Amino acid sequence: MLFSERSIWTMIHGVGLGGAALLGLAAALFYLYATRAPAGPGEPAAGARALAAVTTLTTAMLWLTVITGTYVIFPPYRVTPPAGATDLAQFPRAMLLANPGTAWLHRFAMESKEHMPWIASMLATAAAFVVVRHPSRVFQDRALRSVSLGLLAVAFVLTAYMSLLGVFVNKVAPLH
Amino acid sequence: MSVSLERMTAASREVNGAAMAAVLASGIGALAMGFVALLNEVGAFTVPALYAPAGGVTGRTTLVTVIWLVAWGVLHARWKAREIAPGGVTFVTFALTALGVLAAFPPVWGLL
Repeated sequence: MLFSERSIWTMIHGVGLGGAALLGLAAALFYLYATRAPAGPGEPAAGARALAAVTTLTTAMLWLTVITGTYVIFPPYRVTPPAGATDLAQFPRAMLLANPGTAWLHRFAMESKEHMPWIASMLATAAAFVVVRHPSRVFQDRALRSVSLGLLAVAFVLTAYMSLLGVFVNKVAPLH
Repeated sequence: MSVSLERMTAASREVNGAAMAAVLASGIGALAMGFVALLNEVGAFTVPALYAPAGGVTGRTTLVTVIWLVAWGVLHARWKAREIAPGGVTFVTFALTALGVLAAFPPVWGLL
């Protein structure tokens, strides 16, 4: 088999769900930014509905990324190798920690990834709620639009940063 | 024309309390995430694992999710029918988020 089940889950988590979340966050950010000029009273409902749909879908993707990362990817990553094991290829955390040159990938990268993505998901959820609750006002109210933009921007930066760290970890110690 | 006027009227009738509750709750959740991670790292507070193969992170993130949702629920109940000044809520939310991110940043744990 070309890809193992664990490898497929890693791709679903990082490329499928995480990639979709990044794209969705970027799209929502762009749309909100592009409409930064005060909109007229006749703001097209189609645009508002599209923004609400993209933001909601993105938030769902982000939560799925976080949940699969914690409950599907992390358990095989952290499995402790049996005593005396010399081939650590099946034990990514142990493999990273065994080498001083790669230990930071667990102590910094993976430990960041344990908690920060949850923050991004909560912020994106708040932004989605604002956009869904006030589909018209979010275009007309500068404060509401600014806070939505800010939440999405922080969620985007955190998600992009966590994705980059995930790529680093997966390059050095992939789940086979 | 009448459709536009109706939209304007509907928009002016909306109050932002529910939205502001969601925003502030996300900041509270972010701070809780950082705080719980930090307390765990310094050994001051450990949350039992919810799913043993994934370890303590499952207990910590579940606890924080509950804190976030409870904060959101309480704020929503109190603010849903009110217009809330967004400036203060926005500032506090991003300050809480910054603190939460900082507390969840592994290099900070080494300073304590």
